[in-house]
Amino acid sequence: MALAPEIYREFEAIVGPAYISDREYILAALRQPQPHSPFKPVSPVAVLLPETTEQVQAIVRVCNRHGLRYIATVSSLISFAYPNGPNTIILHLKRMNRIVEINERDRYAVIESGVRHGQLRTELMRYGLSYPVASVGPGGSVLANFACSSGDNHVEYGTSRSNRYLAGIEWVTPTGEILRLGSLATHAGWFNADGPGPSLRGLIKGFAGQWGGLGVVTRIAIGLDAWKGPPEMPTEGRSPRYRMRLPADCHKVLIFKFPTLDQVHDAMQAIGRTEIGFSVMKYFNASAALLATESANEFWELWNSGLFQRELARPLFVYLSTWSAEELAYEERVLHDIIAETGGEPVADEVLDIYRENMDFFVLVGFLQRVLRLGGAWAPTKLGGDSVSHMFEVAKAIPEFFDGFIARGQVLDAPDNFMITPAEYGHQAHIELLYLWDRNQPDWAEVGLQVMRASLENDLEHHHHGSSPPRAKAMLERLGPRYSNCHVWIERLKAAFDPNDVSNPMP
Amino acid sequence: MTAMNRLEDLRYTMESCNHCGQCKWVAGPRTTGWRFAEICPIHMRHHFDAYSGQGLLNIARELLDGELSYEPGLVDLIYSCTMCGACDTACKSIRDMEVLDTIAALRAHCVDAGHGPPAPLTRAADAIATHGNVFGRPRAERDGWRHTPAREEGGSGPIPEPSSSSEIAYFAGCAACYLQTGIARDSARILAAGGWDVQILGSDEECCGRLLWQTGQWQAAEQQIERNLAIFRRRGIKTLVTSCAECFGAFRGIYPRFAAVEVEVLHISEVIARMLREGALRFDREVDLHVTYHDPCLLGRQSEPYVPWQGEIKSFGLHEPPKTWRRGHDGVYDAPREVLRAIPGVTVTEMARHEENALCCGAGGGVAAANPVLARWTANERLDEAEATGAAAIVSCCPQCRGNFTAALPRRDRALDVFDLTNLAARAL
Repeated sequence: MALAPEIYREFEAIVGPAYISDREYILAALRQPQPHSPFKPVSPVAVLLPETTEQVQAIVRVCNRHGLRYIATVSSLISFAYPNGPNTIILHLKRMNRIVEINERDRYAVIESGVRHGQLRTELMRYGLSYPVASVGPGGSVLANFACSSGDNHVEYGTSRSNRYLAGIEWVTPTGEILRLGSLATHAGWFNADGPGPSLRGLIKGFAGQWGGLGVVTRIAIGLDAWKGPPEMPTEGRSPRYRMRLPADCHKVLIFKFPTLDQVHDAMQAIGRTEIGFSVMKYFNASAALLATESANEFWELWNSGLFQRELARPLFVYLSTWSAEELAYEERVLHDIIAETGGEPVADEVLDIYRENMDFFVLVGFLQRVLRLGGAWAPTKLGGDSVSHMFEVAKAIPEFFDGFIARGQVLDAPDNFMITPAEYGHQAHIELLYLWDRNQPDWAEVGLQVMRASLENDLEHHHHGSSPPRAKAMLERLGPRYSNCHVWIERLKAAFDPNDVSNPMP
Repeated sequence: MTAMNRLEDLRYTMESCNHCGQCKWVAGPRTTGWRFAEICPIHMRHHFDAYSGQGLLNIARELLDGELSYEPGLVDLIYSCTMCGACDTACKSIRDMEVLDTIAALRAHCVDAGHGPPAPLTRAADAIATHGNVFGRPRAERDGWRHTPAREEGGSGPIPEPSSSSEIAYFAGCAACYLQTGIARDSARILAAGGWDVQILGSDEECCGRLLWQTGQWQAAEQQIERNLAIFRRRGIKTLVTSCAECFGAFRGIYPRFAAVEVEVLHISEVIARMLREGALRFDREVDLHVTYHDPCLLGRQSEPYVPWQGEIKSFGLHEPPKTWRRGHDGVYDAPREVLRAIPGVTVTEMARHEENALCCGAGGGVAAANPVLARWTANERLDEAEATGAAAIVSCCPQCRGNFTAALPRRDRALDVFDLTNLAARAL
């Protein structure tokens, strides 16, 4: 279905002729099936590249007038950046890529939608500032992670989920009003997303991500932390063998292994109580093997050796980042006491050296997309949040639904490929199970959804907060009652704010 | 063709793309800030995803599957890519995908379907077939550079007589033979100063064929490659030295797709660096200059030897037999820098994007001929980056880069000097 010429001209008048296209070969880049899915997304009818908030507002108003649906996106890695129905345009916010302000004194940065992690993180290092980079890779939009998702990351133990760093939001509502939320609304500056002024940040994000989200976020402010590293990336080597060592007197990575998940839990909790460390994680093991290798063949060589299954089945990754050598020595002593008390032991040096040599794992995670390497058919499930203890309960139930898929050869034999990351020194936690499946298998098209459904049913059976409300209506309705009937609220909010149902339509 | 190079052979790559966007960005650990973080010239210029490695994969897949037709503008988009390989290297830092090979195969697919290349590139192919060079200049003038001083920088000294029996040959390439003859003259002087007795191919030297392969004219490329390899065999050449990054990259990365290459191929920067290390060459004269070095795409990330692979991609991406990947790690990056730093008085400051993350000059892939406006635009982007270093000159190892930078200079406020490495090395002799 093509865009009517008169509507095209309206859009063209807003963004200029160079920044709109309805050519099929331009749209071809916005309708490709993801490797984990056999389904080809519906083609958008046009793509627009606005440059200002006012242009976004004008586009949204045209959409409302003509009943056109719109999806705003930046990097488009995830499948809900693509249309799921006809008559949809894509707002590609890449040209809105300014770093508006870096405020060293009050420690916040104001950015537009198109600013990427690689850009902002390295820019801030010059000022001695930092923020937790979401585990998406350097090309991901900072704003998308902070405003529209939970933004889980490798250092959330010592920081938090990135959506907790929001300090102000500029928002084009689904009907085309420009709202400035939190302290910004009262002209008090970009320092607090909750006030003085209206706080709607949870509503914008929705718990269903972009599909449940509303309107277009065009600018945000994020709070910043101090950066304890050098002003530039201390990277050595050439692609794909980059190495990044942070100064050894203040930065150290240690990894321990435990006989049981309960012991990992006890160690994690104990570390949180002492408030030492910057990153603490029970990390994935198959994903770790993917990150550590340069090709699928190398991965298989490593995986078949059994090293990562032995050493990283129940690991605890700890990254200590301090201001002084004395502080580092203190934290290390405390850590070793805890590990001794909880029955852990260091992993083999050949595993530890990977992380000692490349601390980018805790900075920008520049090689994160390697987890997609095995043909690309992968998905995360769970993605929920609750207390540390609850996340471990969820983890212990994983074999109940997951082992069958492994036994049938439908997914990679990696039952321990899940992560539990505490946030804010253990006041809350996040769980994620990554599973990979083989596109060469005849039933591959079904596997992704089957695992997700089984995971959800397992949570329902045990009354777990393991899965976050999913981005599919039927599954959302199944899980919603466990989350204060969020599915009902999402629909009501959607109807109230988006009466024409044009913003980020749900399937 | 001895390897899996056709579009239908590259379906795994096309179907594996997750749209992560890495093909548009400098590798994360090498990013230095907001500015100079992008890596794909056409995406920087146009912003639409279609103008990127990812977009070209998507277009290739739809064309292959008959879901996209050749509507006006499509071929121009496909031929706007400079084939710089930045997307390929960036993608291969994390994935097992052949992005650049797919773009090349996409162009061959267009040619096979009768929809490419743009007219200036078919004219270039005709010129190569008729005259042995991309400019359509007389074959007999191919070694005119030896007898006539260059009009531009370089080549002011006397040129030694070439050997007729040496197993080492100097291959100047079309641009240095006809347009930037100072590079050829300086190269010949440097080789002689270092004690290397080389033969000059004269009218036997023909275009390397790089442009033909990059623009999808593979039948012509194959014929050109076979002709050149026959000449090398007939003249008993064991080692080929070239001062042209594009010829060098072609011999290393394109020729093995069509035939076994039995000659050792060296870039002049590698030879000079070796001469300096062995004490065969000394730089005695000071060249007081602050420079930045621009890595040519085909000398850097695209110069790893191509190893043909034929096999099966099994479950979970396992390649059987194992494949030798060209990830841009082992390109010629150190030798030019070693040479520059050995010149008394020269100081070198790196640009933000360098080595495997260097931004293309904009001239590659036939873009200088087919889309000169885009080529100049990209050159200006690179010159902005060079100026940001505070350097007074930008140095490269490729006549195409030098030519494109020079062409972009007149519209700039501040005039950077543009040199080939051989120009500065010869000045220091």
